[in-house]
Amino acid sequence: MPKIDLTMDVNGRKVVKQTDPHKRLLDFLREDLNLTGTKEGCGAGECGTCSVFVDGKLVKSCLMPAAKADGAKIETIEGLARPGSLTPVQQAFHKTGASQCGYCIPGMVMAATSALRENPDAGIEEIKERLGGNICRCTGYTKIFEAVEIARDVIAGRLPETALDEDATGESFIGANVRRLDAPSKVSGRLKYAADIKMVDMLQMQVLRAPMPHARIVSIDTSEAEAMDGVACVITADDVPGTDGFGVFVHDQPVMARGKVRHFGEAVAAVAAEDLVTARRALAKIKVEYEELPGVYAPEDALKPGAPVIHDYAQDNVIKHIPIRKGDPEKGFAEADLILEDVFTTQQVEHAYLEPEAGIAYVDHDDVVTVLSPSQNITHHRHMLAEILALPINKVRFIMSAVGGGFGGKEDMIYQGMLALAAMKTHRPVQLNFTREESIVASAKRHPSKVHYKMGLKWSGEITAIEFDMLSDGGAYGMSSEGVMRKAAILSCGPYEVKNLKVDTKVVYTNNTPSGAFRTFGGMQAQFATESMMDMAAEALDMDPFELRRINMMRIGSRTHTQQELTTASLDRVLDAAEAASRWEAGAPKVRGPRRGDLGGPDTRQPCTLGARIGEPTVTPTNDERVAS
Amino acid sequence: MLICESYHVPKRLEEALALWADAPEGSRLVSGATDILPWAREGRAGDVEIPALIDVTKIPELKGYSCDKGRIRLGAATVYQDFLTDRTLMTNLPCMPYCAIWFADDQIREQATVVGNLVNASPVADGTPPVVALNGEIELTRLEDGAVKRRTVPVVDFIEGPGRTTIQPGEIATAVTVDSAYGYGGSFQKVGQRRSLVISVACCAALVRADSTGTMFEDVRLALGGVGPRPIRLRDAERRLKGERITQELIQRVAESAADSVGSRSRKEYRRDVVVNFVRAGLEEALANQPEIGAKFKNFGETENA
Repeated sequence: MPKIDLTMDVNGRKVVKQTDPHKRLLDFLREDLNLTGTKEGCGAGECGTCSVFVDGKLVKSCLMPAAKADGAKIETIEGLARPGSLTPVQQAFHKTGASQCGYCIPGMVMAATSALRENPDAGIEEIKERLGGNICRCTGYTKIFEAVEIARDVIAGRLPETALDEDATGESFIGANVRRLDAPSKVSGRLKYAADIKMVDMLQMQVLRAPMPHARIVSIDTSEAEAMDGVACVITADDVPGTDGFGVFVHDQPVMARGKVRHFGEAVAAVAAEDLVTARRALAKIKVEYEELPGVYAPEDALKPGAPVIHDYAQDNVIKHIPIRKGDPEKGFAEADLILEDVFTTQQVEHAYLEPEAGIAYVDHDDVVTVLSPSQNITHHRHMLAEILALPINKVRFIMSAVGGGFGGKEDMIYQGMLALAAMKTHRPVQLNFTREESIVASAKRHPSKVHYKMGLKWSGEITAIEFDMLSDGGAYGMSSEGVMRKAAILSCGPYEVKNLKVDTKVVYTNNTPSGAFRTFGGMQAQFATESMMDMAAEALDMDPFELRRINMMRIGSRTHTQQELTTASLDRVLDAAEAASRWEAGAPKVRGPRRGDLGGPDTRQPCTLGARIGEPTVTPTNDERVAS
Repeated sequence: MLICESYHVPKRLEEALALWADAPEGSRLVSGATDILPWAREGRAGDVEIPALIDVTKIPELKGYSCDKGRIRLGAATVYQDFLTDRTLMTNLPCMPYCAIWFADDQIREQATVVGNLVNASPVADGTPPVVALNGEIELTRLEDGAVKRRTVPVVDFIEGPGRTTIQPGEIATAVTVDSAYGYGGSFQKVGQRRSLVISVACCAALVRADSTGTMFEDVRLALGGVGPRPIRLRDAERRLKGERITQELIQRVAESAADSVGSRSRKEYRRDVVVNFVRAGLEEALANQPEIGAKFKNFGETENA
């Protein structure tokens, strides 16, 4: 396609460049000018990692064609401060620790800078409003808002510049602002994530994904794609030289679909080409013939006799069953004055880290296959990849790039194998950057679960027995499922001493997106069931929910569900602190009437209501604002 | 991803019209580009290859606004953020700031244009109800034998259904002209899947002017979005309020009768409930938002958001 000429003032420097007409301002800054402090988190204007100033106005550069910015004055995160220095906003972010994974932070700094330029006296509600187009997943907004308020007051002279210095910490770091060592690299946009790194002669990879959840692959014809100009290679499962299979516990997942696809969006083939557009066009030329198979989409259905089998090795579709037995549940229920039964379900959840999966692979001068990616488990990945590539371990190397948020979602080796194969086939560096849509369709999710719960209690509040039966949807591959079930079982009945219990956690294969590691690793699903049950029990017993928990809590000397004797325990202090901090109204749930007095207090966060800047609802108009009738 | 063979940024209207008239099949006009770029992604249109994109935002005639005979002509390059920064627009189009503040975010509002929003003709476009309430007319421009010709169409008739308008091949929407509602109180109600950065399920714009005593409805404008394929102006409700004494009972009665305006087939009962609450809340908030001219009717009690 014919190029276009663009002229811009970028961070005070005149830039004259030829580029492709389809490029977005984001692409032009990152690819043509190497200004990678501006990130791509979603490409759809939702997240704000790509915020830049265009002629003084903050915009999302993923929503602006580069040609629209022709002739404009552009300011990016790299241009805010002179090299080696930080603006007051950046210093304030450094001070308050407002940079965890750091991927959203350049955009946040830009939005904060814009907010204070637009209104140097913006109150906290207006600051929240003006930062509303930027999403953070791990730092948390509290530190960010605190940073903006400090910066505002320093810029306005209401606070001395020393307010940007590091806080003194006493004996405890808790409750104090603690600087993070790597914050300057994040608030300045200098930290390179995998998608920010370029290598000489590097190819771009794109992945063809399954359009259906369960199908036999009859044939894959890559010849037309391979024949295209600019295509360096096309890879499929046939290119795997060693023992194909990865997973945290069971190695049931091939690098790319092998013989059949087991979930929608599973990788089927991949192209490495000179540029992204060529790779995208080549994907459209790959012909795959599928024979659709009946699928399983509910865990209960996976266990039915005659259910479609998803993996040959597991004819019953069970990935893992973890049973725990303690005491005599039958006797415990016989002793109970009250037996409660209920079902608790939780849904699939996406991690939604701001950094989509990205990586580079290359074969180095010593024939070491090297993969750079934000992997949360590089040593295990290295061992698995050596088997897959049939290489000795010293010929496989993993480099962990800066992780722009993981939460467990980057523990699975879902794309590193493809990168390695393409690098070996071409002997050139190969990069793959997921789109947000691809990240959502292909990465593991939190396990959806269903818990059948039965709890026996005395009128005194003492729990006499619990039956806890969890069925989880593992999706198409095992990934971390076994570990998640173990943790769910261990934590099942909560921090309460239960003498008689019967716990079963089971995870099965379905044709849904695979489930994997996600913060709490099964604990959340179990605690949702247990703590809900405790509140319902308090209601049934006409007892204060805190009181019920104190009666049953684990103490020093208690035996856990897995028979460990505790030598320390802190739940008593935790409950006291939570009760005080929440201004809890003591009493059984029903004594409060229709309105609770302990909700909506001064330190609770109110829902967002926009419009702070419209100000007083009454605008006092001046005569010259009136349009003549 | 969106791939285009060429990207044009005409600096004159005639040039843009000529480019557009001669553009190869499949070419598109671009204004803010905040809708076309997310559209060309996986899950929506996927990869899209377009022969030519013609960007109309650098044409001087399409920039800014002008005022004449109680009407305001908003050039097609007018962005949503203007309704939160320009005092003249805020006071003369008092429903627009409330619409704008719930529309996307500050950054998208710096690019997204009202006219682009109207031309896309989404049944849930936030911009449609306030423009319809302001008696908006869209200006369509074309080249005829080398001369620039214009016609105007009321927005309420211009939008025919989801993505369908009466725009003709070769025409560019160059402006929307709306009433000045100086002295009116304005409000905007919106509900979506979540509170922020989200497309509406339903929305409602209201404009109210009470008489000098603050006790009578002198003028009322009500429009709905998201409850049918086309924008809806609640003419009947307006007639029943105009000239009447402002009472909670009247507002409630008129609000309830508005439920029948819901034409959507999906979630119909939900939308009927929403419309009743939106018309009531819209009128109450618009009354409360009137500028300090004369007395105000206050006795509303507690208002709940829908």
